Amino acid sequence: MAELMGREYVPEALPAIPASTQLLAVAWLRWRIFANSVFRKRTKSKSQIAGLVFNVVLRLVTWPAMALLAVGPVVGSGFLAWTAISEGHRHSLAPLFLGITLLWQFVSINGLSIAATVPSFDPASLVRFPLRFGRYFVLRSLLGLLTASTIIGSLALLAAAVGIGVADSSLALPALAVMAVYALMNIYLTRMIGAWMERWLANRRFREIFSILMALFAVGFQFLNLRQVPEHTHDEGGSWLMSLVHSSGSYLDWLPSGFAAKAILLVRHRLEAVANFAGLLAVTVLFAAVFAVRLKKQFLGEYLSEGVGRRASLQASARVKKPTPQPAVFAAAEAASTIISPVVAACLRKDWLILRSNGAQLIALLMPLMFLAIFSMNQSIFGISSRYMLPAAIAYASATVLSSFYNVFGADGSGAQLYLLAPIRIRDVVVAKNLMSMALIGAEVGAAWTIVCALARTSIPFSAQVSTALWTIFLVATNLAIGTLRSIQAPRRFVPGQGRALRATPNNRSSALLALAMLFGSAMLMVPVGMASHYLGKPWLGAFVFGPLAVAAVAAYALLLKNAERLVLAYRDVIAEELCKT
Amino acid sequence: MTPPAIDTTALTRRFDDFTAVDHLNLRVDAGQFLGFLGPNGAGKSTTIKMLTGLLAPTSGSIRILGEDFEARPAQIKRQIGVVPEGMALFGRLTASEYLRFVGRMYGLDRATTLRRTQELLDFMQLAGEEKKLIADFSHGMQKKLALAAAVIHGPKVLFLDEPFEGVDAVAAGTLKAMLQRMIARGATIFLTSHVLEIVERLCSHVAIIHRGQLVAQGSLDELRAGAGRAGQSGSTTSAAQPGGEKKSLEQIFLEIVGADREGNPAATSVEQELSWLS
Repeated sequence: MAELMGREYVPEALPAIPASTQLLAVAWLRWRIFANSVFRKRTKSKSQIAGLVFNVVLRLVTWPAMALLAVGPVVGSGFLAWTAISEGHRHSLAPLFLGITLLWQFVSINGLSIAATVPSFDPASLVRFPLRFGRYFVLRSLLGLLTASTIIGSLALLAAAVGIGVADSSLALPALAVMAVYALMNIYLTRMIGAWMERWLANRRFREIFSILMALFAVGFQFLNLRQVPEHTHDEGGSWLMSLVHSSGSYLDWLPSGFAAKAILLVRHRLEAVANFAGLLAVTVLFAAVFAVRLKKQFLGEYLSEGVGRRASLQASARVKKPTPQPAVFAAAEAASTIISPVVAACLRKDWLILRSNGAQLIALLMPLMFLAIFSMNQSIFGISSRYMLPAAIAYASATVLSSFYNVFGADGSGAQLYLLAPIRIRDVVVAKNLMSMALIGAEVGAAWTIVCALARTSIPFSAQVSTALWTIFLVATNLAIGTLRSIQAPRRFVPGQGRALRATPNNRSSALLALAMLFGSAMLMVPVGMASHYLGKPWLGAFVFGPLAVAAVAAYALLLKNAERLVLAYRDVIAEELCKT
Repeated sequence: MTPPAIDTTALTRRFDDFTAVDHLNLRVDAGQFLGFLGPNGAGKSTTIKMLTGLLAPTSGSIRILGEDFEARPAQIKRQIGVVPEGMALFGRLTASEYLRFVGRMYGLDRATTLRRTQELLDFMQLAGEEKKLIADFSHGMQKKLALAAAVIHGPKVLFLDEPFEGVDAVAAGTLKAMLQRMIARGATIFLTSHVLEIVERLCSHVAIIHRGQLVAQGSLDELRAGAGRAGQSGSTTSAAQPGGEKKSLEQIFLEIVGADREGNPAATSVEQELSWLS
């Protein structure tokens, strides 16, 4: 303490802090966070330990499955690269590299961060330390590399380099060097896109425009698929794709994939190879520079959230706002409160307000229905008979809503404390949440049912409809029961419309995986029953199987609801800690 | 001549059409213990974020210890310590690990970092909690750790955003002891707090911000005398109450920011609206 608390300031010369000191300190920080998460567990209750065991078991099942998903692109890249060189299809190397880049970026946007399965930290928090921008840039480039996109993409590029090397050993070393730079280019491309998207998505208007554009793109893509594929046989479809690849060759020369391919293929023409390699390096530097521009703004204290400005505007407008007549839905909620508990009615009204203001969620509800309409118009593509079309459609349309069952308190954030503080039965809150969930799934399933029945080319037998209805009840009740349980045991705070802005936690990843597993499990149950019903000539078999299952699922849900009060109270510390953190 | 520890010129921060901090000209001399006060939403936290480099100003300049922040951010960050509003601790580290990390980030050598870490843990009465993760600490323990991390490199200027919020009397006593020692060694402290009694007891000077603008600055006696207030050249109010008692900081604060445009205390209208409470 003496040197900190001495009476006189000793003028300090400030020698530069070695870069290695700070970089190693951050590496050590990352290691300690990982090690403490694995070896130094926080104080846990019995139920939390059960949750931990569940997480470990779930990962033991899901990680190998994910690894298998990665094997395809990696082996495929190696094989295609080998074929391209050994069989003289050298022009297909650039499209292959482009494909890997597209896969890399696609997985980056949609994939899981492996590192996020253990707690981490926000690298942006490092700006408060006396870092120079160059070091901050290096740290931001290195931190977060352990993602599915980087792992799959890098392995695919390594496999491509190996494939090329096996086909022609003289190309092995150049291929490795070029693929290393190409991987770096992909890393900076991902970072650049991520950083700029974060900037743009901070603007509410841009978020809305972007959501609509993405929706239009997705719908348009489906129509493109419809118009192109059926006109060709399978082989012709392949040649259509190959002709597209061939015709795009001259354009690809000017893309990083073209530079990379030519830097390898023209290695015997040293000057051209070097020129293309330099082109690839230049693009990599360009992406890094554009990423750095954005990062520099963050480093200097850019504030992305528009929340402060919006709050101020809202406060200003609130002062002059006149009372507006209540919408019909409020009147309905108030009328309902005479039948159901006022607590349930109040919670329903609040959740409706949150849903109504969340454009992204409304789009997420509509999108599957739009796709479903397109799919239903052309069932022959998928070879799905009308018997299976209905449950498949319901599973597809309800996936988004079902996943929301697993975190019903998330959007309440710290407001969830009110449920614990107010003199109410918490079971009423759970009932309200479940009613809202059921209303959403009911609307989604009803719309999907109508679309399929209206657009199916052959009528769906009544027995199949009854069987599907019972299966749907089983599906919804099971997900409601398990989802409500997970909502209580492993809640995660989120801001509607800004889900990606908040860091993922192991718990909510487990819930997402569980929701997916439940959906696939239920769908897989439908397939053998449907097949048996068809081949045994017993149209009502499905109803006999799913009837009791539906009853059992509803009973399980009722049992959970009966114990909801006790469960919430048992997990109140988890709820308070997870939802009230900022 | 020693440059001021903190010197801002026309410092402004806008969020869209909302101006959080409006042409703030603030000067804090080296060695001062300044309490930076203001009602909720006045711009205190925005100011402190700009002064510590966490938020870029829309316009205006900041000089810390005579150096332009924008020109030499890393150099200035080495000489300041910050306890931010949310404390910004890494919950999955232990207190000792966290202090060691912070020490290394500020360029302290390994031996110095270890020595200061142990001293700070002892001083803050956290030495017995070495195996506990920060996430399992109580709020008061986290505040003490945040302050320990802010001073481990011996900063010349210390910025504290609501350091006493949610802290019990025992922890508050430890924090105050640390701050008084920092002042005794000549450091400058810039503190925001809603607890006016603490500010009155600890701070030598007070600045008051209201709706983004600096409305008063000076020593407590100067403010009691009505000097240092924006738009007032001399003493306009009495330093003492009718009974001869000195005005408290709370009374001065309410005089400056607590009244509505007509000069009535804001609380009156609230009471009228909440008639069911009477």
